[in-house]
Amino acid sequence: MFDTVLIANRGEIALRIIRTCRDMGISTVVVHSTADRDTAAVRAADRAVQIGPASAKRSYLYPPAVLEAAAQTGAQAVHPGYGFLSEDPDFAEMCAGSGLTFIGPPPRVMAQLGDKSVVRGLMAEVGLPVVPGTGSVVATAEEVAEASHRIGLPLIIKAAAGGGGLGMSVVSDQSGLLTSFRATRAAAQAAFGDNRVYLERYLSGARHVEIQILADAHGNVVHLGERDCSVQRRRQKLIEETPAPRLAPGVADRLAEYAVTGARAVGYRGAGTFEFLVRGEQIAFIEINSRIQVEHPVTEMVTGVDVVREQLGIAAGEPLTLTQDTLTRNGAAIECRINTEDPARGFAPCPGRLTDFVAPAGPFVRVDTHAFPGAVVGPDYDSLLAKIIAWGPDRDQALARLRRALRELRVAGQGIRTTAPLLADVLDAPVFRAARHDIEMLDHQTAAVH
Amino acid sequence: MTTATPNGIVPNAEPVSPPAMATLCAALEQVLSVVPTPPAQVVLRWGDASIDVVWPATPAPPAPPAASAVPAAPAAVAADGGAAGEADGVTGDRFVLAAPLVGTFYRCQEPGAPPFVEINDVLEPGQQVAIVEAMKLMNAIEADRAGRVVDILVADGTAVEYGQTLFVLEPVGED
Repeated sequence: MFDTVLIANRGEIALRIIRTCRDMGISTVVVHSTADRDTAAVRAADRAVQIGPASAKRSYLYPPAVLEAAAQTGAQAVHPGYGFLSEDPDFAEMCAGSGLTFIGPPPRVMAQLGDKSVVRGLMAEVGLPVVPGTGSVVATAEEVAEASHRIGLPLIIKAAAGGGGLGMSVVSDQSGLLTSFRATRAAAQAAFGDNRVYLERYLSGARHVEIQILADAHGNVVHLGERDCSVQRRRQKLIEETPAPRLAPGVADRLAEYAVTGARAVGYRGAGTFEFLVRGEQIAFIEINSRIQVEHPVTEMVTGVDVVREQLGIAAGEPLTLTQDTLTRNGAAIECRINTEDPARGFAPCPGRLTDFVAPAGPFVRVDTHAFPGAVVGPDYDSLLAKIIAWGPDRDQALARLRRALRELRVAGQGIRTTAPLLADVLDAPVFRAARHDIEMLDHQTAAVH
Repeated sequence: MTTATPNGIVPNAEPVSPPAMATLCAALEQVLSVVPTPPAQVVLRWGDASIDVVWPATPAPPAPPAASAVPAAPAAVAADGGAAGEADGVTGDRFVLAAPLVGTFYRCQEPGAPPFVEINDVLEPGQQVAIVEAMKLMNAIEADRAGRVVDILVADGTAVEYGQTLFVLEPVGED
């Protein structure tokens, strides 16, 4: 096992990774920008190295600085968290070149998974269902028009190098097609530095259901069950839960089987998530996320598995100790993402200093956060402040605890607003309580109100 | 963390590594011995070893030279802020040169060569003062304006962070 791990990330996920390293007796180094000098992860790590200014491009996204910090501190492995460099095959390659273990899939697998339009085809070849779509990226207006006739409407335009729900738009009629095409390319360029896009049929009224897998370097692949992440605002997940409620019979098992098959087919290694859209008994593979995901805690709560610990073990070359037979899932867990955004002002980000922050606690409540009273919420990074997760023997009890926990949450600061009240409303909404919602529900609701 | 006031040292309850704290206190004594007016407040941090000094509002005392007395290991003193000219304890019209990247600081072009600059040298804008090496690339560090070298805070071959103060300079007077 590694002596020292460098965490190339920030915020709640950096702290969360440090905690598992602590549990395992691994020394931790965290890199940070000038804006994150006095943050929870920096305080918690054994060592911290300031690697750049606030701009992510010159700090968290700047491989030479991260690698230099690893060299300075003698780290043997780098955990990239999510976002930032976590799905960058060049960075994974550079780690290998520097004698560092990148905690994630091998660079060639990451490179293969980097073009989502190609991955669709790969998965289709091994039997995963996909919606009609372009087999690769489309570059010209002619290709777009031709594809739209072949695929049919509504369709969705997606960034090939994308992730995190960014760089996508739905097109419902031909008149908006070219405008959306150009706009999505621009958004993809801005978000990922890569404007290539592909098209696929849009499955309206579907649920987003994903499978967590673990694959080691010895050919073992297990799945940790599914997560339902259908409560989304503009494709950003807000509430996630496991198990997925009210799935048609057999769907959960089919999803798991597809994910394991797909993972083997690409030679996956590490923790990964296979995302699908589900409508009744209809399943469509969407994409693979080759990193730990924000919503991993709900899986941890029902399985008792520490996903980061598994990532470290896999990266250190150890075989999985978990087997599909011994893995059990117990009860239900639901997570709310609390963002510093103001729902009353179009979800505008609200940076500022927290004058007060009280995290919920109590039976079967977990809070992953980097917030503390006096912490500064800066404008340079995403607005995720805290994740509140509640477990219960069944969905209703988990929901009740999560409602209680949300009421305990205190966040105060000059100009600081959060999405907590909106989430509380969703938890109370009859359609959500009855698990009859889909990925469009929240956008329809918020469009109506705001 | 231990807070020292002009009235005396007030230790807090947390156990700290005796050698590290003793070293910090010795460095603090050195600082206090060279300044004419006592500071309003001194904060010693043990993890990542630093000394923060808050001066009283009236007559600004000269910047303490004791930053170089703070032990460089395990990590060098980190400058406050990434921009030049904002380092703690640097007062008056002095300004600093800070590391524009994380890497290893070298005072010479190569081992055995004379250092680029020494204390009391007068620099011209654009003059190379050091190298910070990162991932085998040698990055030239240059003075962005004219000045006289007052202090060199980092030893040759030491790892530095982004924004870490390397040189303290003062403006050269007009003749």
